[in-house]
Amino acid sequence: MAEHMMLIDLTKCTGCRACQVACKEWNSLRAEKTVFNGTYQNPPDLSYDTWTLVRFDEMKSKDRLKKVKWLLRKEGCMHCEDAPCVQACPSPGALVKTPEGAVVHNPKYCIGCKACVVACPFDIPRYSPKDEKIAKCTLCYDRITEGKVPACVEACTTGCLEFGPKEDILARAMARVKEVNGSLYPNNGYKTHVMYIIPDYARIEEYSHLNPDPRVPATELWWKNLFKPLTLIGMGGVAGLAVLHYLIKGPHKVEDKGTEGGDNNA
Amino acid sequence: MDISRRGFLKLTGGTLAATGIGVGVGIHPVFAQPRKLRYAKEVPSICPYCAVGCGVIVHVREGRVINAEGDPDHPISNGSLCSKGSALYQIANNKRRLKKPLYRAPGASTWKQVTWDWALDRIANKVKEARDKGFTHKNAKGQVVNRVENIACLGGASLDNEEVYPLVKFARALGLVYIEHQARI
Repeated sequence: MAEHMMLIDLTKCTGCRACQVACKEWNSLRAEKTVFNGTYQNPPDLSYDTWTLVRFDEMKSKDRLKKVKWLLRKEGCMHCEDAPCVQACPSPGALVKTPEGAVVHNPKYCIGCKACVVACPFDIPRYSPKDEKIAKCTLCYDRITEGKVPACVEACTTGCLEFGPKEDILARAMARVKEVNGSLYPNNGYKTHVMYIIPDYARIEEYSHLNPDPRVPATELWWKNLFKPLTLIGMGGVAGLAVLHYLIKGPHKVEDKGTEGGDNNA
Repeated sequence: MDISRRGFLKLTGGTLAATGIGVGVGIHPVFAQPRKLRYAKEVPSICPYCAVGCGVIVHVREGRVINAEGDPDHPISNGSLCSKGSALYQIANNKRRLKKPLYRAPGASTWKQVTWDWALDRIANKVKEARDKGFTHKNAKGQVVNRVENIACLGGASLDNEEVYPLVKFARALGLVYIEHQARI
């Protein structure tokens, strides 16, 4: 299947949270007990059991008639092109970048080390001490490979969420940005498979929990490009030298030297 | 565990080599997730919650509802569902769903479990009693009205179209005029 993308057009979001419920239902995620804390945003944060969440941020408007304006944002995994979580993951198969563009976690191989939690520039993977694993949005990998759109996109009532082949969605995003005089996110050259269209009245910095300048963490680059190859060279060297030593010297002969080095049989 | 120096060297060397190869080549197990809707039958239906009437596909396997989602081919909703509609699956699968009739006597503070026979008989008796008492054949002007004003019928939001049809027919046949829906109150 070709590379696909999701476009989140924030000019159209009404905060109905159908995407949140559809995600919970499709992925059979557990419900969370929450309390009212003065905002419609509920649950308060992403978690092991909440893979997508509509954030309600209040913005003071310059318009005196509309004193407060809501900034709504559907938060979830951005499915990065060169995903730091996949690079950070030490367990093969636990986090995989699929050809469809999705970054998928596989609980079967997850060892719960939280390396991805630290590496993610968007703070998306969430760890559960109870399950000792991480979980996050999978772009409904089990749906898109069957020709369906992700559960959140299907449920979206206003057409705020769009899903399709990469080229179509990119063209659509460019056209829509011009149409609403908004801006695209991420706009610093960081490539993701989920993109936002920010309305003209809002700035990226005004959205809570949205990294204005996402990048692959420097520690990740050091690990991947420097330390990991060095470790491999080191390990390979040890193995190679051991073989060489065997070829030159032959097998080590154990000589019985009586009681030298301690006598356990005494 | 009894390991000689030689055994120890062999073991560590072997482990090192194994990890070196494993990490170096980078074998990734193919991601395979069980297909949730495999062998499921698709049943088109209508969301019962409000008057919009969004289309829903209910997935059924072995007589059990396993999933419900928006119907992309439906002309009204094009597959979209609101947050209530998205949770439709829970109408059928819910631990808190009542499966036996409960009865709370007048003035009582607790519910007690009763049998269907008892509950239906009691409802029938009470309906008959109230209807006999409140039936109006003619109004003040002498016109024939045949109405019952002391019983009201309250529809529930999770009744579907087919269930509502006989319910309203039944209420009209009794002569009820106060026919309401829970979502409007």
